[in-house]
Amino acid sequence: MTADDTAHVIPVRAPEARANGNRPATLLEVKDLTVTFGKVRAVEGVSLEIEQGKVYGLVGESGCGKSTLAYSLLGMVQAPGRIAEGAVRFRGQDLSRMGYRELRRLRAQHIAVVFQAAMSGFNPVITIGAQVEHILDAHPDVYPDRAEGRQHFAELLKLVRLRPEQVLRAYESRLSGGMKQRVAIAIALLLKPEVLVLDEPTTALDVLSQRQVIDVVRDVHERLGTTVVFVTHDLAVVAELAERVAVMYAGRLVESGTVEEIFFDDRRHPYVKALISAMPSVAADPSTLKSIPGQVPDLTALPPGCRFEPRCALAEPICHEVEPTLLANAEGHAVSCHAANRGVVNTGDTGEGSGQ
Amino acid sequence: MSLLSVEHVTHRYPTARDDRPVLNDVSVGIEPGQTLAVVGESGCGKTTLGRAVTGLLRPLAGTVSFEGEDIWKLHGHAHQKYRRSVQLIHQDPYGALNPGLTVEEAIAGGLRHQRIVPRREIRGEVQRLLGLAGLDTTRAFMDRYPHQLSGGQRQRLVIARAMALRPSLLVADEAVSMLDVSMRISILDLLKSLGTSNGLAYLFISHDFGVVRYFAAGGRIIVMFFGVVVESGPVEEVIARPRHPYTYLLLDAIPEPDPRRARKRRSEATRIGVERIDAHPADSGCVFANRCPFVQDRCRAETPPGQRVDGAEGHVTACWYPELVPKIGEETADQAKTMEAAAKEVT
Repeated sequence: MTADDTAHVIPVRAPEARANGNRPATLLEVKDLTVTFGKVRAVEGVSLEIEQGKVYGLVGESGCGKSTLAYSLLGMVQAPGRIAEGAVRFRGQDLSRMGYRELRRLRAQHIAVVFQAAMSGFNPVITIGAQVEHILDAHPDVYPDRAEGRQHFAELLKLVRLRPEQVLRAYESRLSGGMKQRVAIAIALLLKPEVLVLDEPTTALDVLSQRQVIDVVRDVHERLGTTVVFVTHDLAVVAELAERVAVMYAGRLVESGTVEEIFFDDRRHPYVKALISAMPSVAADPSTLKSIPGQVPDLTALPPGCRFEPRCALAEPICHEVEPTLLANAEGHAVSCHAANRGVVNTGDTGEGSGQ
Repeated sequence: MSLLSVEHVTHRYPTARDDRPVLNDVSVGIEPGQTLAVVGESGCGKTTLGRAVTGLLRPLAGTVSFEGEDIWKLHGHAHQKYRRSVQLIHQDPYGALNPGLTVEEAIAGGLRHQRIVPRREIRGEVQRLLGLAGLDTTRAFMDRYPHQLSGGQRQRLVIARAMALRPSLLVADEAVSMLDVSMRISILDLLKSLGTSNGLAYLFISHDFGVVRYFAAGGRIIVMFFGVVVESGPVEEVIARPRHPYTYLLLDAIPEPDPRRARKRRSEATRIGVERIDAHPADSGCVFANRCPFVQDRCRAETPPGQRVDGAEGHVTACWYPELVPKIGEETADQAKTMEAAAKEVT
């Protein structure tokens, strides 16, 4: 099926009301967020704004806090984790003040998520179609007319390049990993969310399935106007999909900006530069690849200054003592590094400053 | 004589839903000190090939020989030597380590069992191996348990444990795919330097062409699709000039960690190839026919044998129409037309 086949079934969402002129509305606002698990501060002092209609990539290595940050966008910080400081707001409403019913509605209709383990999240003993019926049972408010829900789901399946007649009657065991990932995306879109959160959407897939999931997410964004936030450790997926990127390291947001800034700007965080030159790729000259010495610090025993200092080739005495703050330049490109920020005047309210 | 040779190996899993072989008449050889990379998507048989080579699985047909002897006919010392000489590095270093054994015990077990060094020298040998793998050789580190190590440290420990037995062939099955990006290069560098200094051969299994290009430079590669070797040759040659449509698709579809390259449009052939990834493999003719953007009538009727690619030493493709495969990043108008015709024929 080609992209054109779906063009008539799913209309491009009309541009919604935009706040103050041509600046897109802020859907989600993370403000000075600190999430703790016992002594471990998995996310610390992170501020981030998710604007309507954009595609955001949250990048980092395992244990950097990127998934915790993503789940906090859904109000899904679960015990023993807790929000120690700061807040997450959806259209100005603090998620931590929402009750069960409000959160349920939020997650169903406004912010949908496809978990990393979504592929193993299907019920193995009923068909995909039956699982969709359960969702329609639970949300009569979205689809008073069930047929409309079924119809929409069939269209979504086509959008993710699957054949409805094949998928609806299938049990999950008959679907390949890539197909399951795409079914999970279609299910997440069924209740017409404004934001789609994807946790490691391409991680367990082979190259051609990865390519297809990337194309599908692009289509979802372009055709439905859905705001996308995805979590990944793979910079290649970021380069392919993201418009804006936030890089995390050991619980801190260390850099955020447009995808071009993250990859090409002269002023960048040394960790981000090192990460990019540590990616083996077919196009890159193997002799230029370098690994990052040392390892990610233990979150219970963080170094005193900059968290990347022990591994940083550019470290100076100040880096060992003072933790740098995230400073944004006039373009809104924010970096948390003493060296990179020399001479940069903090422009203050870019929405992505450290807020400290 | 090859260090290890796989001849006409065919295997099926009894639990499989269809009776399609997971390895279908696969033949490959690995010379001493050589690296052979195996690439393909999940389910293509690459892990099964690794298991057959390490003797963890007895294929239904065909032979696996080590230094010219069928590994399933080895006894006594010869068998022990094979088990020692061929070591496996798994994808998941945590699953590959016994959680109840300390770092020292994990390495010492093999040294003791295979009598590599006299008993009283075991501790010193453990320290030497830890140093070799870039790990701490202190008492405190040797007393740690796997859960107290980072992912990179665990994989280094698995490598040290494998090196303890003085192997001549390491089978590395997705050895870095579970590691963080910042660790990958250093583990690959470790494997490379161990290979050079000890004359090791590698069977390097990976789904990632970037990793293969980095690790297996100068070696050979085989590309597998549903149990069949569809293309083989020198690594640089196959990556620069793929002559099988499947290899071409894998290479053209790779997400690139560079936004300028990533945003450029993939070729029309790749678009068609990606659209068809849910198609089942063909039952007759070429195994790739149902997914191939260049498919012709002959492909559905006759199975293409491996044939030499002109002008390249040791480059073999199992395709009837290798001339239809575009250059990476290029596509001529003629080829686009051929594909359009092929696309119509299928739909």
